Amino acid sequence: MTVERQTMEVDIACVGFGPAMGGFLTTLSRALVDENGQPLLESSVMPGAPLQVLCYERADDISFGVSGIVTRGRSIRATFPDLNPADIPMTAHVGHEKVLYLLDPLGASRRSTGVRALDEVVKILSSPKDYSYELPYIPPFLRKEEGFVLSVGQFTQWVGSQLMASGLVQVWPGMPVSEPLIEGNQVVGIRLADQGTNKDGSPAAGYMPGMDIRAALTVVADGPVGPVGQKLDRHFGFPAGNHQREWAVGMKAVVELPETCTLEPGTVLHTIGYPEPEIFGFLYVYPDRVASLGIFVPSWLDNPVRTSYRYLQHWMTHPAIWPYLEGGTLRSWGAKSLQESGRRGEPFLVGNGYARIGEGSGSTNVLTGSGVDEAWATGVQLAEGVVELLKAGKPFTKENLGDTYLARRRNSWVEQEAKEAEKARDGFQRGVLTGLAGMGLTGLTKGIMNLGAKISRPYERVPSLEEYCREKILPSEIEHLRSESIAKGSSLADAVMDAHGWPQIPLDGKLLVSQQDALLMGGKVQAQPGYADHVVITDPQLCETCNPQLCVEICSGQALTYTEGGGAPQFDREKCIHCGACMWNCTKPLEANGERCNIDFRAGSGGLHSAEN
Amino acid sequence: MNGGFHIVVCGSIVPDPLQTLAPIEGPTGPALKNELMLPAVLDPWAGHALYEAANLAKNVPDSKVWLVSLGPKAKLQQLMMSIAQKVSFELVVLDGPAGGFTDPCEVAAALAGGINGIAGLDRSRLLLFGGCSSASRDAGVTMQMVAEQLGIGDQFLGVDELTIQADGSMKLLERIEGGQYQVSTCTGAPAMLAWATGNLPEPPNNPQIGMMNMRTVMPALQKAQPAPVGAAGVSYLGVELPKQRRETRIVKDLSVDEVAREIVEWLKG
Amino acid sequence: MEKILFIAHTQSDGTLPNVAREALSAAVDLSKKLPGSSFVAGIIGQEANQAADSIASCGAAGFLSVTGAEFAVSRYATDAAAVEALVRQTGATLVVAPTTSRFSRALPGVVQRVQGRIETHISGMDIVEGSLQIQRWYYRQRMVATLTRAQRPWFLVIDGGVFPAWQGEPGSANAENVAVQLAADTLRTQVIGVQAPSTNTQTIRPEAEVLFVAGAGWTKKQADGQLHLKDAEELILGFLKNCNASLGSSKSLVDQSVEGEAVLPFMSHLNQVGQTGSTPRHPKGLATCCHGEEPHAVGWRFINERRAINTDANCGWAQGKADVLYVADAFQVMAKVNELLAQ
Repeated sequence: MTVERQTMEVDIACVGFGPAMGGFLTTLSRALVDENGQPLLESSVMPGAPLQVLCYERADDISFGVSGIVTRGRSIRATFPDLNPADIPMTAHVGHEKVLYLLDPLGASRRSTGVRALDEVVKILSSPKDYSYELPYIPPFLRKEEGFVLSVGQFTQWVGSQLMASGLVQVWPGMPVSEPLIEGNQVVGIRLADQGTNKDGSPAAGYMPGMDIRAALTVVADGPVGPVGQKLDRHFGFPAGNHQREWAVGMKAVVELPETCTLEPGTVLHTIGYPEPEIFGFLYVYPDRVASLGIFVPSWLDNPVRTSYRYLQHWMTHPAIWPYLEGGTLRSWGAKSLQESGRRGEPFLVGNGYARIGEGSGSTNVLTGSGVDEAWATGVQLAEGVVELLKAGKPFTKENLGDTYLARRRNSWVEQEAKEAEKARDGFQRGVLTGLAGMGLTGLTKGIMNLGAKISRPYERVPSLEEYCREKILPSEIEHLRSESIAKGSSLADAVMDAHGWPQIPLDGKLLVSQQDALLMGGKVQAQPGYADHVVITDPQLCETCNPQLCVEICSGQALTYTEGGGAPQFDREKCIHCGACMWNCTKPLEANGERCNIDFRAGSGGLHSAEN
Repeated sequence: MNGGFHIVVCGSIVPDPLQTLAPIEGPTGPALKNELMLPAVLDPWAGHALYEAANLAKNVPDSKVWLVSLGPKAKLQQLMMSIAQKVSFELVVLDGPAGGFTDPCEVAAALAGGINGIAGLDRSRLLLFGGCSSASRDAGVTMQMVAEQLGIGDQFLGVDELTIQADGSMKLLERIEGGQYQVSTCTGAPAMLAWATGNLPEPPNNPQIGMMNMRTVMPALQKAQPAPVGAAGVSYLGVELPKQRRETRIVKDLSVDEVAREIVEWLKG
Repeated sequence: MEKILFIAHTQSDGTLPNVAREALSAAVDLSKKLPGSSFVAGIIGQEANQAADSIASCGAAGFLSVTGAEFAVSRYATDAAAVEALVRQTGATLVVAPTTSRFSRALPGVVQRVQGRIETHISGMDIVEGSLQIQRWYYRQRMVATLTRAQRPWFLVIDGGVFPAWQGEPGSANAENVAVQLAADTLRTQVIGVQAPSTNTQTIRPEAEVLFVAGAGWTKKQADGQLHLKDAEELILGFLKNCNASLGSSKSLVDQSVEGEAVLPFMSHLNQVGQTGSTPRHPKGLATCCHGEEPHAVGWRFINERRAINTDANCGWAQGKADVLYVADAFQVMAKVNELLAQ
């Protein structure tokens, strides 16, 4: 029996509820009614009814995921001038900010000659007891004063509950969107994910084909690894010269600090230098002795077995960090991919029937390391543009969206600062010191001077295991590790880190726990049955010759595992936290010099269901 | 009986069972740490009751489903965005605590009051549904008390299957001891069924059902009546997590044969 | 002065279930410790003399019964009427009852009728300074509370396995029959009988020495990248047969079977232990291929000796919760265990 695919008509269909969508829907909903609550804009699909605006979100509740950030919050404050941090759980005004350069107390870190030289200078300047050096000066472009430390999860829940209570727009969680509906060069809506399927997507009992939601305007805010954005990119390509080749995994935790911890709410701590020089760390303190902390593992950490979890634990146990945390408890944990190409990663922001906002639209500022503020701003800009078009009765064509939304975005601080920042991180392609120098140069000259470099595709940067290990592990030992990994189907990252001198983490069952326990204690993955797997190997043959498999090594939830004897990895979605790292860490391009690799990251249901995020 | 059933489902929120729970001493007695921040789900057994209700309503023409929920309004709103996509119902909200440390008698009184206030409810066609036990208080008594207050004298606990027979009577399977079922028949409504898991999978999310429900869900939330239930007369002398940490001996390096031999010796010992 | 009423119902053979004797121990204990209290026992069933006589020496000052064909079966309307009559007749302030499916269904409504209060799943009782305190679990066995109450009558429903079964000499109880007027609509519900679930009932054995807990690992792809469901089925059923064990399973495993995936066909939600399942009591438990932390591991909270087999040394089912964790492939170990048990 074939089950017919149903169709529903709405005015505006939206994908992904994050900060950008929060900005869009908040601004839009305020324009939908007059001061007496009477609708100002009429639906064209349901004449007589108010404008029908529907947003679909994959996660089981709106915005789950560990997501501590610090933001200047300029656009958020513009939308909510009276915002009181006390109204939102886990929010505080930014207080003391500091940046620490961390030395390696263990001798296990891979440090270039230049970094070692810097270490020596720092040792002279620093207090040797905690192996850190506080930078005496934080350049203005990195400061977040007047802003907030907040949990994006709690913030978007706060925004979402107000939106839902208004009844003016509808936000539906637990509903993944699989693709845009494209007719010719026109986006005419979205297709929801099929339900009642087997893991391979074939119909099973209770099969219900994903509904087509047709709309005059589709607003795409499904983030850097979202399936709708990806499919638009595949269809429309990128503007000349643009590409998304720089990424990072942000692995984060929410920790209840020990009673002895003296850090004040609002404290912002950033680190560089450790556990590898390429890895940045952060710790933001919320009220009530709760902190969000984590690390960023960038795509230019040239390690064929790079991983996040163990590095996070080594960072937490650094002598300059651990005294704050010792005796604390893990409350929540998770990870996400960050699109780090900034403005250079911009896709086509508008087209006939669609517009893109937020991180997936390249709004993140790679110099200031700020994304939420910018994402929110792009949502506001689009809403203002949309209201202008609706009031004028003009259709959502590429041209009209260009004249309204795009014009606003291009004339805003978001664009101006993104342009300044565009090349800020290019230096990291040549090494961490060049990168830091480049950022400084870009920041201090407002983008006039940069340390440029060719931007490689992530897979082009990944060295062979032999090359990576040449200083610490004998080729015979590497061969042994590799063959053992293939035979047993075991991961290599731990063995390679062990061999480089990283000690075992002393698990305490509270804060330092195994990766699987972190997944259980902090991540709480929801994997609804009845959906197709969302991580799909496009060509399993390509995996036959792949070892180490970087997708397995980097996998935040250990959802991807080796297959005994080699071949395509196994995927267990009950462990997948939807970070998307597998997608950009795959080292097998589908075609020579292509941008796409062998892992297709599709629409999936569920993901993190974090207690406090 | 004329027409279909009027099915009233009692169901509220509980913390997602996967969350780490810890008790604290709150201003009005014991509570959960960060209770309002914990992700909530529909109480699992009440959820099964709701899905069974929707299925029954679908199969018996002229039936209707109400969902009566006692919980904090803000948390219920969040949950309803998930539930409302699955099955059609009319929502009745009682704005009060949903934690486990409230007295089932007070909860039952509030629920019965909420049900008594439903306009157009035909008591002769009433099937009162709920879970056989909540995942919070886990007492397994509330539904019976609600039913008693509504004058329902036929009650079933731990129901896994309801069949409407050709003569309109009901055949029920209730869980009893030893993994068995008691089979009963009942001449028809009114009756109370406190469900175990039933046999239905969770329905898929359907955007059209969601849009339909939204027309009544948000107004129902706005109209929510306060229901300040507590636990009068109860003195909690302490609530604690069990301290049952064992010294686990980890055996890593034994061969399969040795492990098996050790296990068999232990089993036989 | 508390008036204690112990109530129980008979089984189909006229005897009292074991769990009733356990609750009786609790009632006897209460009557001894509560100064000035009185103690009466009430039995419900087709016929009550055999059951009442079996506990004649328990110390109750009197024995009451509600008997007749209508009270032979487990049915809300008749059971509630019977218990209500006993409570009203005795003016009881404390009603002690065993946790049975029959009383779990019937007692709460009676509480409503007599304007009392009820605590179920009681796992401990104490008399402190002359007043009764009880323990019970909240949030599906995840935290335990100690509490006391002002209201009476207070119904106390005692969980199985908490108190030792009362052991005493039978005698002559001379139970006094309490007449119960049944309303005309009391018999709208008819009990047809008892049915084994469609799954293999042999796998749930409340009285078994050993609980075998199967986790989702049994239905995952194994190291060779293949599923081995047939092997898993043979190994598990083989062990249950050899060891006469009861079968429990993790939530994720039974969820798969509800979703209609080709998994272990003899499993159902009835087997589920843990947060959303049962918390059985057995002397020994062996968990295999389970992974999880607190919410799931509550499933074997009441298992005395616990061992686990898992490939992950940090398995949350085992660390700190089992006595021994074998880091090994359960498929291989259980094959060998079955071989040894069969010898």
